[in-house]
Amino acid sequence: MSEILNVQGLSAGYGPLRVIHDLDLIVSSGERVGLVGLNGHGKTTLFYGIAGLTGWQRGSILFNGNQIGRTRSQGPGRYTHHIVRQGLAIMPQGDEIFHGLTVEEHLDSGAFTKQAWKTRKQRKEQVLDLFEPLKMLLKTPVARLSGGERRMVSIGRGLMTDAKLYLADEPSLGLAPKIGKGVMEALLKIELSNSAMIIAEQNVALLEGKVDRVIGMHAGKLKGEASSALSMHLK
Amino acid sequence: MDIGFILINATIVACIYGLIAVAVSITWSSLGLLNLSYGFIFSFAGYGAYLAARMLSDHPIVVLTAGILVGALGGIIICMLVFIPLHDKPNFTIRGMIGTLAISLIGSQCLLWYFGPKNKALPEVFGYWKVSIGNTVLTSDKIGIIVCSILMLVFVVLWMKSSRRGLEIRAMMMNPHAASIVGIGIRKTGFYVMAITGGMAGLSAVLLSQTYYIAPFSGLTPLIKGVSIALCGGLGSVQGAVIAAIILGITEALTSRLLGGQYVLITQFLVIITILIIRPRGIAGLLDKAREQ
Repeated sequence: MSEILNVQGLSAGYGPLRVIHDLDLIVSSGERVGLVGLNGHGKTTLFYGIAGLTGWQRGSILFNGNQIGRTRSQGPGRYTHHIVRQGLAIMPQGDEIFHGLTVEEHLDSGAFTKQAWKTRKQRKEQVLDLFEPLKMLLKTPVARLSGGERRMVSIGRGLMTDAKLYLADEPSLGLAPKIGKGVMEALLKIELSNSAMIIAEQNVALLEGKVDRVIGMHAGKLKGEASSALSMHLK
Repeated sequence: MDIGFILINATIVACIYGLIAVAVSITWSSLGLLNLSYGFIFSFAGYGAYLAARMLSDHPIVVLTAGILVGALGGIIICMLVFIPLHDKPNFTIRGMIGTLAISLIGSQCLLWYFGPKNKALPEVFGYWKVSIGNTVLTSDKIGIIVCSILMLVFVVLWMKSSRRGLEIRAMMMNPHAASIVGIGIRKTGFYVMAITGGMAGLSAVLLSQTYYIAPFSGLTPLIKGVSIALCGGLGSVQGAVIAAIILGITEALTSRLLGGQYVLITQFLVIITILIIRPRGIAGLLDKAREQ
């Protein structure tokens, strides 16, 4: 088991607001981690901090052994594409989609590495096997899809490359319970031999027993088993 | 008064200004930059084509290619000087507008300093033949202008639709934040956008210089018209820019035929203001808040 993500002393926020307070987190390969916390306690900001999308941040983030954390006070998103290209797949919450693109183009846009772009046809089929309802909608603009279908598109987009780390941000938010469960099952089906996944979720029942460990997030700090090694030590 | 003549003049105006309007529109919606430096790029590309015609050869393809390539180079220069340093700073929209305008004025002054105030003429790229359909006479340069600009526009639209870079640009037009999440680098895409739109401005410079001359400040009128057509069509919409270009082309041709050429700007801006009062977002502008910052 190798470390995929090692966050040390990460603080991040927007403008005068500090959302994440000196946070440490270790995720190893093959792990599926649940991140549970209420609205406004920093789950999304943690993901955006890893991707370099917050207003400012400081602290060390080792991703696959490479340092991607930096101290910066402006320029959200300037380095995000470099980080993403190292194998980070973000499945954002809400409508972080491209309204005018069709479902097919959307999936294509997720295949950003050279290899993934060459094999995008097979990958699209794999994604469509996971999300059956999208098969009929390939040529439809995403703006016309329902909320659940949009979420499937944005998760499918994240699956178009071989990511090292998947960050799924509230995959069941705002969906009917049945659809939310389906989306979550699709996420749990993804094989993680060499990679890891963090699922942020408010509904603990959806995660219980299905992920390797659950971390709580409260007021910008992690509660509970922040790393598997750490939790072993505590036991 | 024959309708054919007016229609053809309208089409030519629509083609030339339409190219710049589409360029303005694409830059605005993908980069969030209201690029006012097309005036400079326009004259820059014109002088580039002029130098190529004098030094290399006056073969039509050489002149046209030189215009497009120098225009693209101008776009890249603007990107490096304005977009790269400013794009993640606060108030980028205003700063970018002022920055590009400043570069445009400085650049035009440099051209004036280097080439002198004397107007330069490009060789007749499209030859001297003519075709008559009914009682309308089509000269070669008119046909050439229409064909070239439509080809360029079709090429750009197809490239945006089918290529990977085009997909990246369109994705960034719709949601810049989500674009960086899927690994699209805003700076790199900026260079592509500025190069291709610069190429469009360069082509329109060569085409317009078939009827006018090249001068350091000859890009000013096309810039003003291009930006106002883009505004009128709804910033960010390629179809809107094309429709607005056709409407304003017809206005210009009709005005210069019925009232006289000196009234063209007055009627054109009256039409633009009327359209914007009735429909503030422009003809085909997006209501989405796809680009709100």
